Amino acid sequence: MTDADLQSAGHGRDAAAASKLRVRGLDFFYGATQTLRNIDMDVPERQVTAIIGPSGCGKSTLLRVFNRIYAIYPKQEARGEVLMDGENILDARYPLNRLRSKVGMVFQKPVPFPMSIYENIAYGIRHHERLAKAKMDARVEQALRQAVLWDEVKDKLKQSALSLSGGQQQRLCIARAVALKPDVLLLDEPTSALDPIATGRIEQLVEELKCDFTIVIVTHNMQQAARVSDQTAFMYMGELIEFGDTEKIFTKPDRKQTEDYITGRFG
Amino acid sequence: MSALVPPSASPGTGTQIASRQRIAHDAWNDRLFRGLLLGCALLVLAALLGAAGSTLWGGRLAFHSFGWKFLVSDRWDAVNGQFGALVPIWGTLMTSLLAMLLAVPVSFGIALFLTEVAPAWLRAPVAAAVELLAGIPSIIYGMWGLFVLAPFLAAHVDPWLNDRLGALPGIGRLFRGPPLGIGMLTAGLVLAVMVIPFISSVMREVFKTVPARLKESAYALGSTTWEVVWNIVLPYTRSAVIGGIFLGLGRALGETMAVTFVLGNAHQFSESLLMPSSSIASVIANEFTEAYTDLHRSALIALGFLLFMVTFVVLAFAKLLLLRLARKEGDV
Repeated sequence: MTDADLQSAGHGRDAAAASKLRVRGLDFFYGATQTLRNIDMDVPERQVTAIIGPSGCGKSTLLRVFNRIYAIYPKQEARGEVLMDGENILDARYPLNRLRSKVGMVFQKPVPFPMSIYENIAYGIRHHERLAKAKMDARVEQALRQAVLWDEVKDKLKQSALSLSGGQQQRLCIARAVALKPDVLLLDEPTSALDPIATGRIEQLVEELKCDFTIVIVTHNMQQAARVSDQTAFMYMGELIEFGDTEKIFTKPDRKQTEDYITGRFG
Repeated sequence: MSALVPPSASPGTGTQIASRQRIAHDAWNDRLFRGLLLGCALLVLAALLGAAGSTLWGGRLAFHSFGWKFLVSDRWDAVNGQFGALVPIWGTLMTSLLAMLLAVPVSFGIALFLTEVAPAWLRAPVAAAVELLAGIPSIIYGMWGLFVLAPFLAAHVDPWLNDRLGALPGIGRLFRGPPLGIGMLTAGLVLAVMVIPFISSVMREVFKTVPARLKESAYALGSTTWEVVWNIVLPYTRSAVIGGIFLGLGRALGETMAVTFVLGNAHQFSESLLMPSSSIASVIANEFTEAYTDLHRSALIALGFLLFMVTFVVLAFAKLLLLRLARKEGDV
């Protein structure tokens, strides 16, 4: 994007942001099956980018490329480039440890670790930094505050995280991810297992977190994408069909397929 | 719905009568089934109590003659009619403990390798091979222990232990003695090989139940495979893993044939793991056919009762341990 482009986009809050992740010619394979085809996409910094599309379109797969979590399974392979701050994270020389401290992830179902609430947060921090007790306490509190969970759990930090409600558990998982102070936060259908009230709180949280983090959220709920995101990507059959301002995608999309999906004609 | 017709309703159509019969029939079937299941459960309880009761009854002469000294005396002298069970109890506990010390880490490694590390094509064959180990008769293990393992230990391992560890203060006492090849160390090794299939297959099964998303969450925070296993997989499966370990321990405590082959069947008490000893099961197997006096026979049956008690105490201890762990983590 040239300076002229940036200026022509003018006051548009969306286009003015620099790209945090640049995806170039990304292909993805599960064994012999190709599930992503030649994806090009720029994820803007400190904004919420939503990825929507019917089941099996590859939206979760794309998300799982951004922190190379797919790499724990032997038969999965990504080809192409994903540049974060100019460095290709798919390069085998890019250290996984560094990548995962920069890119946090929250999954569909809340999955607290089988330990206390405090330990759930401290666990990840301890992996990357050595902190004295007081500093660690402060970091844990900060993370829980960022996830708007502190007031609900401050008196029971030593209790098992499994004693929390589903919505609280999911906010704990978000706290656990933001505790590492990542640049990017990946949310994989974070509310699909939650009730409407808990979902509302998570969406509100996403709105607040985007001041500090670049957020990519995969959702099968189109209203959610419309509510929380600045940019929306529509995927179908492993291809990126359309990507642009959320408002535009939902009001006058360029592509017929996008319009059909948005208006509920398929999917 | 015809099933809701009250019993007082006047006799109606054929379908109503049929359905009322059906209800009575179903209720009777349910009762029968419940009774059958209860019977199955009670059978286990009856067998257990029966075995405990009859060994206690059979051993009453020994318990009566020696009292508490039966438990703490190391004198086992059939000729003079003096019987004390300390050596067999000690031998049973030590060989089983040794077996667990060796088998638990190895089983853990096998289970982890098969669930987390091994390539997919290798998992099934290795898992099957490990489980086949469980099918080998214990007498084969005994012969292997006696003819292969014992000479090897006598020639290569025992002298080394003597030289290196025997000189140490404290634990040195466990490793002194002539290199005989047979003894508690050998029995522990053989038992370890025998219980590995049990423990590792339980561990493998429960490790497979850990949700992929839970492990991925830990990987996503930057954890290594080892950290995921140690901090996530193991705590998540803790109670089942401990259950598997105690399944193996129960087997080690009661194993007879293989232990009889390699333990040496000595009635002298020795602290050293290199020295022959005896276990409860091996003493019974060895001496039952030669027990001509009532007291001797009674002492052997009393040993059987003690094995019961040892197993029971160990299992109860395990339960308590689990409960305390759970309470500490705030799960209860």
